[in-house]
This record gives sequence, C-alpha cells and structure tokens, in this order.
Amino acid sequence: MASLSATSLSFKAPSIQSTRISQVLRKASTFQSISFGRFQSSKSLRLQISCAAKPETVQKVSDIVKEQLALSADTALTAESKFSALGADSLDTVEIVMALEEKFNISVEEADAQNITTIQEAADLIEDLVQKKPAA
Amino acid sequence: MRISVMSQMQRSFSIDLPSLIPLQLPSRRHVPHPTFWLIGFEAYLLSQTEKDGVDQMRGDELKKNALLARTLVRTTVARYQTNKEVDPRSLMFKKNVYGKPEVDWQNCKNCNHQPLHFNISHTDSLIACGVTVHVPVGIDVEDKERKIKHDVLAFAKRFYSADEVNFLATIPDPEAQRKEFIKLWTLKEAYVKALGKGFSAAPFNTFTIQSIPGTEEGYSLCKTSEVTADPLEETKKCNGEWKFAPLELADSHYAAVCIEDDQANEGAPMRVIVRKTIPFVEDQLISERIFL
Repeated sequence: MASLSATSLSFKAPSIQSTRISQVLRKASTFQSISFGRFQSSKSLRLQISCAAKPETVQKVSDIVKEQLALSADTALTAESKFSALGADSLDTVEIVMALEEKFNISVEEADAQNITTIQEAADLIEDLVQKKPAA
Repeated sequence: MRISVMSQMQRSFSIDLPSLIPLQLPSRRHVPHPTFWLIGFEAYLLSQTEKDGVDQMRGDELKKNALLARTLVRTTVARYQTNKEVDPRSLMFKKNVYGKPEVDWQNCKNCNHQPLHFNISHTDSLIACGVTVHVPVGIDVEDKERKIKHDVLAFAKRFYSADEVNFLATIPDPEAQRKEFIKLWTLKEAYVKALGKGFSAAPFNTFTIQSIPGTEEGYSLCKTSEVTADPLEETKKCNGEWKFAPLELADSHYAAVCIEDDQANEGAPMRVIVRKTIPFVEDQLISERIFL
C-alpha cells in the first residue's frame, strides 16, 4: 500500500539534486489520485522519492554493515557513513547488498546497487523498494 | 602500530609491462626512524584532495592504507617517466566521466605526456598498482582467506553468469569452491575496472570469464546474451580483446590483471612483471611471466 504521506515530506537526502526534489514536490499534490498500479508501471515516475528512511531501517542497515565489515560493536556509524570510508571494497558492498535483499525481502538492481555509497542511501533505497512491492 | 605500517609497506606491489624502463629510485636518505620518515614523506607527496580523502577514512589503519595507496600510485607512475625523473608530487590526477582515476598529463608540469595507464586495488594488508602503456588496465586483489558470509553458490547465482555458476557447482570441496569464487571475482572485477565505465556498464552476470581449455592460466571473456531467458540457449560472444593474468601474491592474495588488447599487439602474449616495493626504500623483482 502506497504510504507516501504527502503532508510530511521531510527530505533528508544529500545525494538528491534539487531538481529531483522539486519534481517530486510538484507530483506530490497529485500523487493520491494516481493509482498504485499505474505509478509502478511508469518508469519515468519511478523517481527515487527518498524521504528520510525510518530510524529503525537505518539501524538495521548499520547492523548489517557492521557485521559485514567486522567493525567493533562500539564503532560509531552515522547515516552519512560512507562504505568506502569504513573500508568496504567492492566485494563487501555486494555482500552488503545481498544481505539487505535477504533481510528486507527486496531485489536491488545493479544500477541502484552502484549508487549506494552510504548507510542513508541504502536505507532510503530499501524503503523505496519495500514500498513498491505489490501489496501482499 | 609502527610495526603494522612496515608490514603493510612490505606488501605493496607494482605490476607493469616490459616496454617501461624503470628508473633508479632516489637514493635512500639517512633517517633515524624509517617509519616516521615514511609517513611524513608520504603526506608530503600527496595533493590536498588526496589528503582529504585520507582524512575521510574512519580509523587509523584505514587512513594509513589510503595514504600508502596514494603514495604507491604516485611513486610508481613517476618511475615510469622516460627521459627524466619526475617528482611524484607534480603528478596530477583526474577522473574519467565514469569516475575512473587517471593521470592528468595536461596539467602536470614537467611531465612528458606518456600513454601510461594505471589502476589500483587494495586489501587490509596489500596494495597493488598496475601500470601499462597504451592500453587500459584493471587490477583487483583479494585475501585468499577471505570468508564469504553468504553461501558461495547462492552468491554466484545472484551475481555471476550461468556458466560461471555451473563451473563453481562442479567443485565438490567447499574450500576449493570458495577459492575459485574469489579468483573469479578478481578476474571479473579486473575486467570491469579495465573497462573503466563503472559497475553498471558491465553487470557481472552479463559476461563469463572462463579458463581456456588446455592452458593452466589462460582466461577468456565471453559476453552472454541477456535476451534469452533460457540459460541453455544463452548465446555467447567470445572475443580476444581482453587479456587476463591471474596471479598469487605474497602467498596470501589472489590478484588479477586485465588489459585491453591493443590493436597493434593483437594476439601478442602479455608479459607481467611483479615487483615488491616500499616507495623510496626498496624495490625487488618478484616475477616476470608471460600470459597468453
């Protein structure tokens, strides 16, 4: 069920350029009149509507990253932590993506996987994909 | 901490092709404590951008690694200037449109423009820099003992091509299977890095790297057709445009080098020279081999 609440668009998306945000804002007012099915099928509307992911999502991503990179439990990770700055190489990143797919039961496309460089971006993408899944 | 710096230093390699003439390294300077000198000198070599990059790394080990990596790139590329010695500090770098780092010859003062290409890869304990002339190069290194958190076959099914999955599935021993998985990873990663267009330009499941029958270390690249859903009907286009050299370094790492076959050199074997290097301190030839 599409749960984008048009009233509380708290964008915390450093990676999103301002043009995207303005496009989303324009569409937000008409969003509720678009059926979920139609929205999904239109690739051009599949903008990364990345509202700030829920804190619990960010936490789950952090836990997976800590485990994959074997960071100590008290390593301070922020949502903005970059995988590469934490010592992740390409194999680590792919393992993280796979762990996220399993944890959240989603499927990440290559192009999207490449664009994930921080914990926040991963969490945002996860929520985006979870939201788009057909209603159970 | 000092000891670990030195051991990291001892594990850095440079890999290059025969037409490059290595220059004499600058003479060793007398310093009371080599570790301090090396760290100070390395920072001295780096540009502000590189230093910022080092600072971004979380934790001392990672910072040191980043510092060593940039030092290795600068000193290695600087060595392969013909005609005169180039100060590694004067090299400038830029990224291609896809983000692949390359030397910016135009903005380098006192450089001769050389058709040099480089690529770098590192793990916790080893940094490798590969340099070639005329042709793009990609290099990847992985710790042999690296544990894969997921089931190897499940991982391969998700990311590798069908043929590669089949190959891995025929290996009965899980440990041997894990090792082959890693070797294949380095080969595939080296190709994507040589291509220089980012991971999404060549998703891992769109190409197969397989050993050439009858050779021990020859590998070839085949592109798989994405259109057919039926893996049995997968059409493959194999070409000799990309050459691979799988290596083992320091008994601890698998590495792969991939170069694009120069039109002029078409079909000619690739000669890979491996050196073990501590920038400004030591240089040791490890091996020189031909890969078909």
